[in-house]
Amino acid sequence: MLHLDHLYRVAFHLAKDQSEAQDLVQETFARSLAAYDQFKVGTNMKAWLTKILHNFFFDRYHQRNRWISEDDPIDQKSAYGKRLAAENPGPESHVLFRELNTQITGALRKIPEEFRTAIVLVDMSDFSYEEAAEILSCPIGTIRSRLSRGRRLLHQHLKDYLGVKKDRGSR
Amino acid sequence: MNCDEAQELITALVDQELRDPERGSLEVHITECARCRLAREEEQALKQAIRKAGQGILAPDGLRDSILSSPSIFPEEGRSARGWRDYIWPMAPMLRAALAIALLLALALPMFYLFKPTSEPIAFAALQTYDLFLRGELPLRRAENAKEIEAQLSSAVGGRFHPMGYDLSTMNLRPVAGLIREIQGRKILIAIYEGPGGSLFCYTFLGSEKDVPANAAKFFDADKKMNFYAFSRGGMNAVFHREGEVICILVSAMPMEKLVALAEAKAKPS
Repeated sequence: MLHLDHLYRVAFHLAKDQSEAQDLVQETFARSLAAYDQFKVGTNMKAWLTKILHNFFFDRYHQRNRWISEDDPIDQKSAYGKRLAAENPGPESHVLFRELNTQITGALRKIPEEFRTAIVLVDMSDFSYEEAAEILSCPIGTIRSRLSRGRRLLHQHLKDYLGVKKDRGSR
Repeated sequence: MNCDEAQELITALVDQELRDPERGSLEVHITECARCRLAREEEQALKQAIRKAGQGILAPDGLRDSILSSPSIFPEEGRSARGWRDYIWPMAPMLRAALAIALLLALALPMFYLFKPTSEPIAFAALQTYDLFLRGELPLRRAENAKEIEAQLSSAVGGRFHPMGYDLSTMNLRPVAGLIREIQGRKILIAIYEGPGGSLFCYTFLGSEKDVPANAAKFFDADKKMNFYAFSRGGMNAVFHREGEVICILVSAMPMEKLVALAEAKAKPS
């Protein structure tokens, strides 16, 4: 099935939960089928599917309770994070990660979603800045900024595993 | 260029997304600055490590089957396809992908024509009216308050149905006027919101999902068990939903995600 692993990978890092990720991917295929007449032949189907997935994720976790989350988005995110942490205390059992991979997956969970999403799209999914900006409906400069800040945060979480010579946080 | 200025540029350089003149300036700086050279090496190493970590995450085996057997994705035909699915699975990945697309098309096209709406003038009239408003060409009689608008609109249809109206104060929008239009013998009630948060039109009329434009994207809210349809034209976005026999279309220049969220948040299952 086209781009299934890619979509699952993105969904897994967005939702931070294996079961939620599967739901996201299933819904992505359902929505893409329903909206297939909107897909322009010759354009990037991987990006189109990813945008559908991201929009659904956004709808589900951010927009469903918009009137609540708009007033206090930080608390909402925090509560969501706490719930995920409680439900998912350890690494996923379905994949045997090597130590660094486990650390990276864990570190990605700790950084804000906007940074994590940019990293997953560009570093894991090989999207260009332009494609990532289209998927996330934001300017290209925002992608660059989120990647830079996100990688710095990741670096701080992973410095013990990456053999860092110097703390870049002090730059 | 100093190290702070170089920071974001290093990210773009590592991603091969940096062009001259920024690229040239950064390369000069990196030649002279050991700290930024180190930063570039570290960011490259991190990017590679992230990429490798991503490759270790694969869709669970059961996900593929559960998608193919999902009634909401592949109704009936998909579920009865297990026999030939077993046959094609050992095929080459490219061929499987091509077959998957062909299957999607084969299922999508009949559904598209089967459910293709037959009437859509109201939906586009909604966009046209809003366009007139944005251009300042829509004559309005401003109302004092929301109750006055509701009374004006309800009386226009003899109370047969009531205009949908929402408290949008958290979005810095308040009801400012009501408008009545008639299209193909159907009365359309329009509540107009305006404020520092922009503007929004809320259309209410009697109809069905046949009034959805053909090119609208359909979203299903599983919690409310309701369909929402999104469509756009010329920078204006619209979201259509049905509550019983009453149709509501929200039209605004605000981002589609925001408008869909608003419709979903405010809609009441019939």
